[in-house]
Order: sequence, then structure tokens, then C-alpha cells
Amino acid sequence: MIRMNQNDHAVIRAVLSGDKEAYGALVMRHSSSLFRVAFRITGNEADAEEVVQDALLRGYRKLESFESKASFGTWIYRIAVHCALDRIRQRNGNDTSRVADERDPEQDQVQVADEAAGPDRLLLSGEIGVMQQNALHSLTATERTAFVLRHMEERTTEEIAAVLGIAPNAARQAVFRAVQKLRRRLAHLRVKV
Amino acid sequence: MNHLNEEQLIDHFYGKDGTDAPASRHLERCEACAQAYAALQSDLAELSGVEPPVRDAAYGARVWKSIGPLLPVYQTQQQSRMRGWMRGWLGRGLSYAAAGALLVVGAFFAGRMWEHRQAQISAEIHSQQSQKPALHPREDVVVVVLSDHLARTEGLLVELKHADAGSAEMVSPLRDEARSLLAANRVCRQDAAQIGDPALATALDHLEPLLAELAHQPGGLNSATIARLQKEMNKDGLLFEVRVLRSRMPDPQADSAKRSSGGTT
Repeated sequence: MIRMNQNDHAVIRAVLSGDKEAYGALVMRHSSSLFRVAFRITGNEADAEEVVQDALLRGYRKLESFESKASFGTWIYRIAVHCALDRIRQRNGNDTSRVADERDPEQDQVQVADEAAGPDRLLLSGEIGVMQQNALHSLTATERTAFVLRHMEERTTEEIAAVLGIAPNAARQAVFRAVQKLRRRLAHLRVKV
Repeated sequence: MNHLNEEQLIDHFYGKDGTDAPASRHLERCEACAQAYAALQSDLAELSGVEPPVRDAAYGARVWKSIGPLLPVYQTQQQSRMRGWMRGWLGRGLSYAAAGALLVVGAFFAGRMWEHRQAQISAEIHSQQSQKPALHPREDVVVVVLSDHLARTEGLLVELKHADAGSAEMVSPLRDEARSLLAANRVCRQDAAQIGDPALATALDHLEPLLAELAHQPGGLNSATIARLQKEMNKDGLLFEVRVLRSRMPDPQADSAKRSSGGTT
């Protein structure tokens, strides 16, 4: 029986006592937030949905190793980030269209004046969004994940380091490299007026 | 303080805990760094990314529906011990029964095998004198046809290599031979694939454009065409390739002889 009003720890105890259905409450409680971070890291809905399922499955299997002092939300969030990271690594490995630094920024030569307004701006904003996504895809899996966690999910360097299993300084460097690459890659979009 | 570099500006933007007070003071005084920082802020403000699509209230239920059936039920320690104990007794009983059954079945099949083997040995003794080697006529025919095709192709390529484009009596037979070989080449390519020789099939595939050009060159074979084809042939190393393939081809007659002698010794 699913207990929506129970706290996460009580639900976990129930699951570990043999009440498999209780896990449904955790799935319903955390799926949306996991989807959000998975989408930001993978960049597409289908991958994000698979990451959510994969993370919750892995979470269930590892539930015995979950420490009761920790927050289930943070724990499953880390698992989801790992799953998303695995997915983009796998995709980058298979995706021959990923060109990273080979892509010529000149090809994306859509220059936007700072003060541009009206329909042109609306039309171009879609293209800019695509270019930003391409720029994000050109980062390594670790850089992209570190940047998403820092810039969009507003996680601290220490949290990022813990999630990625690296030293805080390495996490900081990954964010720095990501910002540097993104700025260079998107520099041609901006023309001062 | 020196100017802030990009790394320091990025650290300052993300508010590296408690250590950016000097950076703040510097930015208040230094116009160049303040401009660089403003540019960074502007760039990063643009990089908000695509907002994740909102999932409806039933999303969690859908996820649970898809993963729920895949999850095993956790057992408490007491249940695990009980199951382990049951499994131990039940497993021991079953293993004795299985071992007994295996012994009976094994003895039955050993008897059957022994009988079968005896019958086979006597049949072999009786038929030994009249036994003929196993032949693979279809394969042998294919090998003969392929060898012949490669020999003719080699001849054509040698002629092309030394062809004098100005001589009509030399060019005309070349075209006729190429027409004949072109049709054969397609059949041979299929045969090569059939006998499981992808290298040969690929080589024959390479030959086809040259044969086609020789056979059907619009306006006939003039000196420029001959010179170009000679060049292409040399560039692709076609003659060498054909010679290597010929040397690799098994000699079906020798093979048959070997099989015959192997059968009687």
C-alpha cells in the first residue's frame, strides 16, 4: 500500500521489510525533480525519462546501502546525475555527429544586436537556443554536468564534487572550463551596438 | 592587486564562499575588470538553457507503473533465514533425487551409445573397400569458374596495360573481351559471396567499373580513354590484386586428388 503522507525514511523501512509497493510513494514524490535535472544534463525528454526510471531502479536495488542519516532526495538525486552522466557519455561515444571543437563557429553566424526587438528577436531566440544546446553538447560529460549543477541547479562546488565523486577543486575547474568554452563558442552571437 | 583573470571572475560570479571580498573591492576600483565582469554576467545570464518541460501530476504514477513490476520484494532477515533453511532442506532432498535420476538416465544412454557404436564399427568394416571420398561438386565447379575468370581478367588487364591506343585492331578485341568478362564478373561476384570469400567479392566489385567502361565507353575507346583507364588501373593496383587473388585460389584438381588419397590411406 502506498503511503503518500509518510516520510521517506518510514517508507524505506517499509520497503526493506518486504512492502515493495511502498516504494511507489518515493517514486511519485521524487520523479519530477529527477526529471528536471536529468533533462538539463541530457538535453532531451526521452533520455531524461529513461534516466529517471534507471535511477529509481538503481535506487531500489541499492536501498539496503542507504544510510538513514542521509536525505533520500539527495541520495537519489546523485544516482540520477550519475545515470544522466553515463547516458551522455554513452551517447557521445556513439554519436558520430558530435563534433565538439571541430565545428566551425562561423557556421553559426547569426549575430544578434543587444537591443534587437520585435519579431526578429523572437525568431532568432529559437536559433540561439539551439546554438546554446549545441554548445552545451560540445562540452565533455563532466564539464556539462558540473556546469548544469552549478549554473542551473545552483549546487555548491562541494555538492558537485560529491555527486561527481571528484575533488572540490576538480569540480571548480570543470565549471571554469565549461564556462570558458561556452563563452568562446557563443561569442559570435553577440555584437555590440 | 593585479587584474582579475577569467577564472577569478567566474569564481566571483558563482560566489566562491567568503574568499571574494578582495575581488569585490578590486571590481569597484578597476574599470577594465568591471567591464570584463559585466560581459561575463551578461553571457552567463543568457545561458539559462532550455527550461525542462513540466511533467503533469500523473508522471510519478506512470514511472511507478513502468518500473514497479521489475522490482523484487525485499525480505526481512527473519524471512531470509527461514527461506535459507527451507532451501537447504528442500535443496538437499531434491539434489539426492536429481542425482539418482541422473545416474539412471546416464546408464540408459551409455548402453544406447555402446550399441550404436558397435553397429557403426561393423558397418564401417563392411563398406571400407567401396568407400569413396566425399566430394563437394558445387564448390569445386565454382572454384574452377572463378579461377578461369581471374585468369581471363588478368589477361585483359595485361593487354590494357600495354595497349597502344592508336591501333584499332588492338583496341577492338579488348572491348569484346571486356563485354564478355563484365557479365561473367557479376555472376562470379555472387559466387564468391556464396563460397564465403568476401575479399574476392570485393575485388571483383572493384573490377566492375573498369570492365564497364572498357565495354561500353560511348564513342568507342580513343587514346585519351585508354590512357585514363591505364592510369586508373595502375592507381588502384587492379592487376596486382587479380594476381594475388589467383595465387590464393585453391586448385580443385589437386584438392580432389588429395581427398582421394586421404580416403585410402
